[in-house]
Amino acid sequence: MKGLALNVLLAVVWALFSGEVSLRELVIGFLLGYALLNMFPDALGTRSYQRTSFALLRFAAMFIRELTVANVQVALLALHPRPDLKPMIFKVNLHPHTDTTLTLLAATVTLMPGSVVLGFSPDRREMYVHAIGLDNTRAARESIHRVERALSAFLPTPSLKEAT
Amino acid sequence: MNDFNALRDIPILIGAFFVLTSAIGIVRFPDLYSRLHASSKLVTLGSAGIFLGAALSFQDSAAFTRLLAVLIFQFLTTPLTAYLIAQAAYLRGLPPHLPGGIDEWGALGRAEEIAQADREAVRAMQTEGQG
Repeated sequence: MKGLALNVLLAVVWALFSGEVSLRELVIGFLLGYALLNMFPDALGTRSYQRTSFALLRFAAMFIRELTVANVQVALLALHPRPDLKPMIFKVNLHPHTDTTLTLLAATVTLMPGSVVLGFSPDRREMYVHAIGLDNTRAARESIHRVERALSAFLPTPSLKEAT
Repeated sequence: MNDFNALRDIPILIGAFFVLTSAIGIVRFPDLYSRLHASSKLVTLGSAGIFLGAALSFQDSAAFTRLLAVLIFQFLTTPLTAYLIAQAAYLRGLPPHLPGGIDEWGALGRAEEIAQADREAVRAMQTEGQG
């Protein structure tokens, strides 16, 4: 988090030097600071910030793509003369996560193609998903695991104590 | 009347299209669970398009910060609402329409049991944390 603090500091400094502390100047300062921190990650000790922020950007790109596909797919089903929903409830095995990660995972999976989260097992190691318009569950499971990995890449992972 | 502004109107039209299909889906799908697909996914992107068009028409940075706040709240609240409705319906025993018969949870209508198991699991996690 040292990287984020430095980045915000650089944004504020930029805004102060530009003579007007406005949202626009803060955003410009933040972006310039971000570029600077990515140029010298080792000298400034912001290597982990770089990794985390890249992971966050990757997740955002993935999320937007999945959401668009999901919307087009459900829209086509809704407008189909005789929609074949093929509804089913399937189980996905999860790695141990913090509650924050699980919440974001459930929200993301609900906005992904063909799946709405129904619930979790008491030990939080299984997620139950209601799916429509899927031919088989393998592809859906794989994409859920992809999202799980993308989220874990920028969120704190649980300690071993919580993981058991 | 005919001052069509592409930058502003195209996102609003796309958004309106998705909101309309969402309404159509809610009417046509067979059960609560499949209707939630239509209401959660489509409304999220549909309203995003409408809000984006609105922000673009104001061309003011304050409009964009509000747009960002609205989108974040939308993306967090809509799926969680869908999740809570689906889970409540399932655990209280509202049968899903499953022609394929695949239900890998198999906890339909077993609300009490699941709540009990959850409480025990949470208590076990807490005692482990102290130990």
